[in-house]
Amino acid sequence: MAGIWIYSEDTVVAQQLMTMGRPLADQLGQPLCVMTIYEQDAPEFVAAGANKVFVLKGNSAWPESYAPAVAALAAKESPTALFIGATLRGKDLAAKVAARLKTGLVTDAFAIRFENGEIETDRVMYGGLAICTEILQGIGVVTIPPRTFEMPNKDTSLTGDIVLVDAGVDSTMVVGNVCPIVRLGADITKAERLVCVGRGLGKQEDMKLAQELAAGLGAEIGCTRSIAEDYHWLPNETYIGLSGQKVKPVLYLSIGVSGQVQHVAGIRDSKIIVAIDSNENAPIFAAADYGIVGDLYQIVPLLTEAVKNQR
Amino acid sequence: MLNIIACYKWVLDEQDIKINPGNLALDTSRAKRKISEYDRNAIEEAVIQAGECGATVASLTFGDSTAKQSLKDALSRGPEKAYWVNDNAAQTADGFVTANVLAAALRKIDKYDIILCGEGSADSYGQQVGPRIGALLGIPAITFVSELKIEGTKVIATRKIGDCTEVATAEFPVVVTLLPEINKPRIPSLKQVLGAAKKPVTEWKASDLGLGAEDLSPVNKIKEIKGFVMSRKNVLYKEGTPAEKVAGLVASLTKEGVL
Ligand SMILES: Cc1cc2nc3c(=O)[nH]c(=O)nc-3n(C[C@H](O)[C@H](O)[C@H](O)COP(=O)(O)OP(=O)(O)OC[C@H]3O[C@@H](n4cnc5c(N)ncnc54)[C@H](O)[C@@H]3O)c2cc1C
Ligand SMILES: Nc1ncnc2c1ncn2[C@@H]1O[C@H](COP(=O)(O)O)[C@@H](O)[C@H]1O
Repeated sequence: MAGIWIYSEDTVVAQQLMTMGRPLADQLGQPLCVMTIYEQDAPEFVAAGANKVFVLKGNSAWPESYAPAVAALAAKESPTALFIGATLRGKDLAAKVAARLKTGLVTDAFAIRFENGEIETDRVMYGGLAICTEILQGIGVVTIPPRTFEMPNKDTSLTGDIVLVDAGVDSTMVVGNVCPIVRLGADITKAERLVCVGRGLGKQEDMKLAQELAAGLGAEIGCTRSIAEDYHWLPNETYIGLSGQKVKPVLYLSIGVSGQVQHVAGIRDSKIIVAIDSNENAPIFAAADYGIVGDLYQIVPLLTEAVKNQR
Repeated sequence: MLNIIACYKWVLDEQDIKINPGNLALDTSRAKRKISEYDRNAIEEAVIQAGECGATVASLTFGDSTAKQSLKDALSRGPEKAYWVNDNAAQTADGFVTANVLAAALRKIDKYDIILCGEGSADSYGQQVGPRIGALLGIPAITFVSELKIEGTKVIATRKIGDCTEVATAEFPVVVTLLPEINKPRIPSLKQVLGAAKKPVTEWKASDLGLGAEDLSPVNKIKEIKGFVMSRKNVLYKEGTPAEKVAGLVASLTKEGVL
């Protein structure tokens, strides 16, 4: 049957992928199909432009357990490409699906093109140092990060088929104790100004320096992966980079961040990048518009003062 | 006795890769190699867990001949033996090929209860080889694990997935992919480095594992790999007193209109 297929356990992300999938399907002259595990969301996908919605009906509430069902349906219907939302749950499922389909998997594609009758994807390699362009073969499975595309417009007069499919689920794992991580701060992906802290901060109390500067600037606080994962000073969803959040503030200001390529991969779309670090050779300076080489314990309080006086 | 296998990839150190400013081609000629960062966590976790439950630990890697250098490094981190699939197919391998090779090697090893992988490799960061191995071997794969417990014949793993944590339980054999926060990899001591040379290494070619051309050919076609360049103003305040540097920065940012 071919077609451009979309799946995500997150209905908002699935719709964002439809924004990319609709024109692609039109260029190929193929239908746009969505798979979902939530029957109640099917009409929403139709209104967003899906020609067909497959509702996978299984007895599991754990999204990852639908990998065999997604793979079985794709094997039967042979889509041209299957785009999956690159949430961590989506990446887990996508790898299991690609293995079952004996096909390739492009992780975290940030651009998709239709060229010379083929589908091309761009993704980063070597921590963000390079871009790899691939041409999909077979049933091309691709994951795409949330928010890469805007939400599509809805039109409730659109029509499409809704098909219920009995889904076999993976029951080899038992999952429990699901506890939401409480979001403490604001969503840093939407912040206009960001102060980013790294391991140059000696102890947790010193976060106060960053908080005061952020307050003065009207900025949110983000961090490096080390601060979130090794030190647990800030929640995981506030770390920026290849495996963390991609941010695009007007002003990004880092303190004590070395600027390894995996971190810089997340800040490239910032308008102005400023870095404060004691090591003149820290890679962050090559990625920055403005930098101060100096001890953050001297610089940051002075900068906070100066910023307050400016405003 | 339990058998734990830690999978690691021998990768180019991205810090040594240069980008040719003209054509944006990558120059890897002077790049050293390393055990992919997060795979050091996988080896460490295997050794820590084995210490608690008396398991044996082996390392497993698929690489070309350059991966020979990796064996001593891996073994100095505590495994008792190493498996090395030495094949040039590794030079072009994608996640599909790598998982085919590792799954075939694991079938040949035959005895495996827990297979540990990193969350993603430092070069391609596909975050797929671990769960693919699980699917190919027909066993559960638990991904993005920040805490691991072995109890009897099962693992109890805490996953951290974005805005939520959850606990997944599965019977052996099982694949687990680890977040780096799970432990702090050791820096091997001189004694451990010297001891590593005496540990046994099993070497195979892909053909020894019954793999054919189809299993070893990457699926998608790579059109190009190009360096990512970002041009920034690179204005640096490094001379003068802290107050002078701050004044300079504030003046610049005011001019940019971002203060
Ligand atoms: C596959 C992979 C994915 C990754 N993904 C990410 C990611 O998404 N995000 C991320 O952030 N990292 C990521 N990393 C980790 C990354 O490579 C770096 O290790 C990390 O970003 C370093 O964090 P840091 O800058 O806080 O610490 P460090 O590298 O330790 O840097 C600390 C800096 O503070 C400076 N400093 C120290 N004292 C002072 C002082 N008194 N005043 C001023 N400056 C001082 C030092 O000069 C240094 O530059 C990833 C790594 C891998 C392998
Ligand atoms: N060539 C390889 N040899 C052994 N293990 C590998 C290899 N490639 C990937 N892995 C394992 O799979 C994990 C995920 O890799 P990737 O899917 O490339 O991000 C790595 O952290 C390793 O544990």
